[in-house]
Amino acid sequence: MENLYISATPSSPEVDFRFTENVLSLRGESYPENAAAFYSGIISSLNEYLDGEVRPQAITLNVELTYFNSSSTKMLFTLFGTLNDRAADGADVTVNWYRHEDDDTMREFGQDLQDDFSAMKFHEHAIADD
Amino acid sequence: MNSNTMYAQYREFCEIACKRRVIFYYVGYFSQSIISAMADAVKMGVEHIGAAGQTRRRLFSSFVEMAQNIVHYSADALTPEDRNDREMRHGSVCIGIHGEKYFLICANPIKTEMAEQLRATLEPLRTMTIDEIKAAYKKMLQSDAPDGSKGAGLGLLTMARDASEPLEFDFAPSREAGITMFYLKATI
Repeated sequence: MENLYISATPSSPEVDFRFTENVLSLRGESYPENAAAFYSGIISSLNEYLDGEVRPQAITLNVELTYFNSSSTKMLFTLFGTLNDRAADGADVTVNWYRHEDDDTMREFGQDLQDDFSAMKFHEHAIADD
Repeated sequence: MNSNTMYAQYREFCEIACKRRVIFYYVGYFSQSIISAMADAVKMGVEHIGAAGQTRRRLFSSFVEMAQNIVHYSADALTPEDRNDREMRHGSVCIGIHGEKYFLICANPIKTEMAEQLRATLEPLRTMTIDEIKAAYKKMLQSDAPDGSKGAGLGLLTMARDASEPLEFDFAPSREAGITMFYLKATI
């Protein structure tokens, strides 16, 4: 399975899905014009990786998004759901959730993710505000 | 027009903007690349005036939701109706300061028959508590997007969540038949 790399643009994040290392990272800001179109390709690559011949046993997802708009939120929710299903099937899935220390919206969203997708291990990392 | 008159007229415009404490205003066509550029300007502007981190993020979030609503839903489109990428649609957005708070107002034409649907979505948000708004947001996140939405049906709920007062909205008749002007205001 080939790795997936998409460079960041002013309104879409860097996507660095290293399937060969089982480390998937999203970095930057996410408010593309059409979030469904942007994320559906990423999610289908993720599914291909999860359903590949060598089923991954331990996966790390790093989320370093400083902002995502409402339609990206919906797509990220789908992406988390996909990984959580695999975790429920026995894979070891770790999410590293980075947020600014005073960002209450991101803190609450992280909390909701933990509640909704409890099969994954969730590590929150507060970064100092600039 | 001599240059003195031009200067006087422009000064008058700037003085009104200053008096109303307008920190950002744009009217024209909205596209994704224009929104990205404006988002940069808004980010720098609110940082420059020293807004707190959380306030800056809420202003930015509401600005993006408003601007993307114009790109997706304004009735004045340069691009074909059925297209859902690289759209260009007309509207305006303004950010200002009132008392201790920031406000954002956006305006765009809509088809008149959309007004009732918008009112039915917005009116209940005005009386909901923040906890009810968060619960409605979560419910919408877990369900399928409503018909006619080009996003997730979460945009207005996101603005209601980020605002410190109920969202305000208004409709005004337009000179064009079948078209109504839609105004939305969020106070942060």
